[in-house]
Amino acid sequence: MSARVPSARLDIRAHTCPVTWVKARIALSRIAEGEVLEVLLRDGEPRENVPRSAEEDGHRVIRLEPAPEEGEGTWRVWLARGAPVEERTWP
Amino acid sequence: MALTDAEVARYARQLLLPGMGEAAQEALRDARIRVTGGGLSVAPATYYLAAAGVGTLWFDDPDEVKPEAGAGFALGPDDLGRPRGAALAGFARWASGLVTADLFRPGSRPTALLVCGSSPDVSRAIADEARLLQLPHVVADVDGQGGAVTSVPVGSPCYSCATRPGLGGAPTADGGATVGSLAALELILLLTGASQEPRARRIEVFRGTPLVRATARQPGCACAGPVAAGLAP
Repeated sequence: MSARVPSARLDIRAHTCPVTWVKARIALSRIAEGEVLEVLLRDGEPRENVPRSAEEDGHRVIRLEPAPEEGEGTWRVWLARGAPVEERTWP
Repeated sequence: MALTDAEVARYARQLLLPGMGEAAQEALRDARIRVTGGGLSVAPATYYLAAAGVGTLWFDDPDEVKPEAGAGFALGPDDLGRPRGAALAGFARWASGLVTADLFRPGSRPTALLVCGSSPDVSRAIADEARLLQLPHVVADVDGQGGAVTSVPVGSPCYSCATRPGLGGAPTADGGATVGSLAALELILLLTGASQEPRARRIEVFRGTPLVRATARQPGCACAGPVAAGLAP
């Protein structure tokens, strides 16, 4: 587990796909490479999809755990911003 | 200004497209597009520009809506007799509650033009005006076999350089829909920089099949003058 401290925090428990990942992606774009974003999300689809999408986008999941102290069904994920993956482009 | 929650929700799927992101979406929101002409491509182009999140659309079309109006599905019986620009502005607002849509008025300062002229001559005159104003523009031409979309970033080969005679024939609604939606996409790519490819290009659509080519300046064309070199006021 990383000893790093999140430099930003995002609560997306009120949102559904695809807004959950879009908001996380925007928040990641606002921190520096290597910094950590803490995301609070709901169990189920957000817990499955947000970490997976982050990894597909070149970021790293360094913590994924229940966060009952934040509310029933809440999970916490720490995402370390990675180097942007090579951008696909339009023709 | 960062995107609002409402904007993120509205454009969530678009924000995930290749090359798109918060900065590109903000660029769309900050854009002020002057939409000229009442050709068959104007309605679908308007719909897609509004839906994509272009912040301001100004319609420069003083003609009245007539029964044979060339604005396709955007205009209905209630619009007959209205200024077509005002009717299109209403259509844009229907397409998106986040767009500001109105008539183009003298003194308005667009950041780009979409040219949907009813003929190549009309389009050429407007495109020349855009070139002299150093505004990026996209020209949509519809003909009997489809049509063409010409993208003209600032300083690039002009519309006249890029144009070659089409096959002619009466424009069709199908061609208008295809060319209009392509024109909107080309303008979005110009505004956002979402593509790494050179944007000075022409897409010719023949019976549904697109052919893309980079445009080249014709020898002696006025577009190679001081405006292209960034020397004009």
